[in-house]
Amino acid sequence: MKKRSLVLVTVDCLRADHVGFLGYSRPVTPNLDALAENSAIFSDAIVAGAPTYFSFPGILASRYPLALGRDVLGIAPHEPTLPTVLQDAGYATAAFLAANPYLSRRFGYDQGFDTFHDFLDSEIGREPVSADPAAVGRLSKLNRLMRNAARRNGLATKGYDELYFWYCQWVSARESVPMDKLRRYPAANVMVDQAASWLSTVGEQPFLLWLHLMDPHHPYYPPEESLAALGLPHITARRARMLNSFWNRWDIGPRRFERYRNEIISLYDAGVHWVDKQISRLIGILQRLQRWDETVFVVTADHGEAFLEHGDRYHSPTSLPEYLIRVPLLLRAPGLSARRFSQGPFSLIHLAPTLLEAVGISSPDGFQGRSCWEQISAGNWRGEPAITECIDGCCNPMRPDDRMRPRLMAVRDQELKLVINFSEKRDCLYDLKNDPRECSPLPAGVRTRERAGLFQVAQRHLQTSASAERTDLRLSALLRELQQSAKMTGATTASPMAGEERWASISSGGAQS
Amino acid sequence: MTQYRTVHLPEELCGAAEKLLAGRFENLEALLSFLLQEIVKDDAAKFDRAEEQMIEQRLKDLGYI
Repeated sequence: MKKRSLVLVTVDCLRADHVGFLGYSRPVTPNLDALAENSAIFSDAIVAGAPTYFSFPGILASRYPLALGRDVLGIAPHEPTLPTVLQDAGYATAAFLAANPYLSRRFGYDQGFDTFHDFLDSEIGREPVSADPAAVGRLSKLNRLMRNAARRNGLATKGYDELYFWYCQWVSARESVPMDKLRRYPAANVMVDQAASWLSTVGEQPFLLWLHLMDPHHPYYPPEESLAALGLPHITARRARMLNSFWNRWDIGPRRFERYRNEIISLYDAGVHWVDKQISRLIGILQRLQRWDETVFVVTADHGEAFLEHGDRYHSPTSLPEYLIRVPLLLRAPGLSARRFSQGPFSLIHLAPTLLEAVGISSPDGFQGRSCWEQISAGNWRGEPAITECIDGCCNPMRPDDRMRPRLMAVRDQELKLVINFSEKRDCLYDLKNDPRECSPLPAGVRTRERAGLFQVAQRHLQTSASAERTDLRLSALLRELQQSAKMTGATTASPMAGEERWASISSGGAQS
Repeated sequence: MTQYRTVHLPEELCGAAEKLLAGRFENLEALLSFLLQEIVKDDAAKFDRAEEQMIEQRLKDLGYI
C-alpha cells in the first residue's frame, strides 16, 4: 500500500470560535467549513501550552512545555518529534513558517526537516514605515518642551500622551502606505507558493509538509481582498494603521479599547479569511499533483487571541481562558468518516502520535501523548481531562528571569475547568456549561469531588511530566543555549537573549564562585 | 575544605572549547565548573516542588489525602 503523506497547517492565534465549522456566524472560513463536512472535527481541542513558545513542544514533540524544566525553550537537540520520526521513515519533509521568531532553528524547530524556511531573514515587515522625517524634525523641539512640561504632573502626562498619540496618527495619515507594506509577516499566499514549489519536487515520495501561517496575528493587516470579501472595504490601510496603533496602547484602560473592538475583530477575521482561501488553494495544488487522495490533512492552531473578554488583548500567558487555549482541529484522512467529536477535550499533546498512526508509523517512546487514531477511526473517541501549562506572565521567554517563575495551569474537562495560579496560590473552578465566558468561579465548597478529581489530574501531571528519563534532553537544550549565546557575544543588534545575561554573570565572577 | 578531582579530556576537545569561548573564562577549569554548576543547580526544580506541595495541600483541604 502506498504510504500516506501528511500536511500540517498551524495557524497562529486562531480561536476555535472564529471558524464557521465550530459555530462562528461570520462567513470567514467557507472553504474549511466545506472541508469539515468530510473530516473529523473536534469541538474542544485544547493546546498543551500557550502562547507559541509553550504550545509547539506539545504539537510537534508530544511533550508538555515545562517537562524539560521551565528554563528550557523549544525542541531539545535530538528530541524525537513528528518530523524527525517521519524523516527517519523516509519521508521528504519541509516546513515553511511565516516568520515567527520562536519557531526557528535557534529553538530546534528545524530538526527533522530536509527543507526549513522560517522567513526570519525576509524583508517583509522590515522596511521602515515612517512619516516624513523633515516634518517630524520640525516639531520634535516643540514636542520635547511639551513632554517635559507635562511630566510635572500626572494629569498633564495623560493629556500629553493622548495628544502625542493623535499627533502621531495625524503625521502617519499624511502618507499612503498599502496594507501589504504594513504587514509584518509573509502572508499565507507566500507560504502556499513556497509549498507548491517544494511539492513539485517531491515526486512519488511520501512527504510531511508543515505550514505555519501568521495572518491572524497582530498587528492585524489582512489583504484588502479579504476585507472586501467580508464586506469591510471601508477599513482602509490608513484606518487599519490607526486601529493597530490604538489597540497597542498601554497608557489607557480597557474601557477605551471597546470603541474599536469590532473593527479589530474584523481585521483579525479578514486574516482568518485569507488563511482559509490559501488553504483551499493548497488543497487544489495537492489535487492537481494527484497527492490529495493519499494525504492526511490537518488544520489547527497554537493558541487563540483575546479581544477584551476579560479586559485583555493579544495572547499573553497571564491567564488561560477558553479563547486562548481552545483551538480548531480539523483532521481529514483517506477513508476517515466525517464526524464531530464533542465528548470532551482533545489535548494537542496527542496530536503527533495520532497523526503518526494515521500514516501507519509507530510513535517513539518519548512522546507524552498517545495515539487516539483507532478510536477516532472507529468513531468512539471520548475526551479526557486536558492539561495546559505555561509560566505565569512569561511574555519574553528570551529572558531567563521571565521563565523562572511559577506555573499557570488549566485542567480542562468537558464541563469543568480548574485554573491553578501558583504565583498567587489561588485556584478557580469554572462551570463551562453554565458560565462559558468564565466570569464567575464556583464557590469553594461546590462540586468538591470534581474539583478534587481535577486536582488529582494536576498532581499526576506534575509528578510524571518532568521525568528523570528526559535529563539528557534537558542538558542538551541548556548546552545549546549556552553555545548559541557564546556565538552571539559581540552582536550589537541582538535583542536581550537568555545567554547574554548568563554571560554577564560569568564576566562578573559567577563562574568562579 | 574543597577537594578537587583530576579528569582526563582529549586535548583536541579542550583546545576547541578554549577557542570557542576565548576571553569568557579564565581557563578551562572555570568553564567546566560553570557548566557543571549550571547543570546541577536546577533552579527550575525548586518551583516544581513548591507547586506539587500546593496541590497536595489543596487535596488535603478537600479531604482527599
